[in-house]
Amino acid sequence: MASQIGVGKCWAFKDDEQPPYPTIELIVSSADRKATISPKVDTGFNGSLAIGKEAVRKMRLTARGTVLIRAATGHSEVPVYAVKIYQPDLALSFTTLAIGTERSLAGRRLLENRTWLLDCKRRRFCITTPTSATND
Amino acid sequence: MMRPFVEAIRTFRWEPFRSADLVERLGYASGYARNFLSQATRQGLLIVESKRGKKEKTFRANPGVVRDIVLRGGKEKTELLEALGLHSKFLGQYVALRGFSVVDHDADLYRLAERIFPDTEAQDDVVITSVGTPKKILTVEI
Repeated sequence: MASQIGVGKCWAFKDDEQPPYPTIELIVSSADRKATISPKVDTGFNGSLAIGKEAVRKMRLTARGTVLIRAATGHSEVPVYAVKIYQPDLALSFTTLAIGTERSLAGRRLLENRTWLLDCKRRRFCITTPTSATND
Repeated sequence: MMRPFVEAIRTFRWEPFRSADLVERLGYASGYARNFLSQATRQGLLIVESKRGKKEKTFRANPGVVRDIVLRGGKEKTELLEALGLHSKFLGQYVALRGFSVVDHDADLYRLAERIFPDTEAQDDVVITSVGTPKKILTVEI
């Protein structure tokens, strides 16, 4: 049987830099503070979430440690934060460590085990939904 | 200040020591040892443990500073972890520390975090850090 996929929830590319880039929307909480962020989808990031300085300041997050990471410019030591991530469209709700970086990033751990549509023509990033049973 | 503090940890770990021990074991001049103990106590790096007689105080490294040093990161953190003997045991891994004690460790940061921080409020006296360059290092391409 041929597989077909439908398009579920989509998030528009952000165009504050060129070329525009894919994002998803996440609700991040810690203690009694909550923020909605739109991290850039970064398939070169093998973690789950990097949280930008603005969101850290807004949520008054307290670092729970520091770890060494490898960035394009070399190794760097960054703070880590314990945060809860919600994304109702992806049925995501879990506590994880987020690394502190300049900007927020969604990494491969958040994307794995799902099928995504990178629709550059319509400038959107979407979760796909199966529309018929498949044999593959 | 940090160098003699790290040397004291390397030598005495969290056992109590006296000014005379710094002179005998680390070869410090007695005046230098006294100044260090005085300043390090004021800064909260050391705790005055007890008094033996009138003059002979004993000191112990303050476990509370581990968290501060880890959160500051950098060379001081590296030296502290090395002084605690963590480089020989956990090089390339992530460790969870409560004071001077390793409460857990793992090669995978997220596995460790799942155990240590099952919710965002859990174990706020524990800090997580990498020892050396992690074998499973997080990579950010941008």
